[in-house]
Amino acid sequence: MQEKTITITIDAQGKSTLDLNGIAGQSCEKVFDNFRGGDTVKVERKKASYYTGQHVQQEKSQR
Amino acid sequence: MSKYGLTQTVLREEKYLVEALKEMGYEVEVHPEAPQLNSYYSEQEAKAANIILRRQHLRGAYGDIGFARQPDGHLSLITDELDEHCGYGTKWLGRVQQLYKEKQTLAMARARGYILKGREVINTSEGQQVRLQFAVRR
Repeated sequence: MQEKTITITIDAQGKSTLDLNGIAGQSCEKVFDNFRGGDTVKVERKKASYYTGQHVQQEKSQR
Repeated sequence: MSKYGLTQTVLREEKYLVEALKEMGYEVEVHPEAPQLNSYYSEQEAKAANIILRRQHLRGAYGDIGFARQPDGHLSLITDELDEHCGYGTKWLGRVQQLYKEKQTLAMARARGYILKGREVINTSEGQQVRLQFAVRR
């Protein structure tokens, strides 16, 4: 199972990039909001595994 | 990868801003009711701030520098226009925001149980970057 990691890179202009790995669906949104704090979001992009994780969860709950 | 985001730091929490400024070596005054800042020209419009760095503690500054609480809750930088060209402009504010964001992130992560896996400082052509890596507790 892929480790769930969060990488935040803060530059000298006060901008941050947030990279979330191995976290899918609602959990991903929650973690993103935690690390965003009260900051202004300039770019937000969901990756393929965001949806993949959701499908897996839905399949499991149907069983 | 699940998600990627780019954010701009907004100064909201007094505690982390004060910690950031102290780490930069400044003496910091904190006022619930914002007093006036001293400016270079006495005829300048008086400005007030809640967090103040007095000019006698700021190398080369013409006036006091402050951060004033805005109606939406964020703290905005208040400087003398002259000081923006004396080392207290955008670049200086960026450094303040960088330190603030690091302190805020570490405190939030501790409180919510994220595990700090590493801290790295990276030198780039646009200044130093701080990279923090966390793991989610299972």
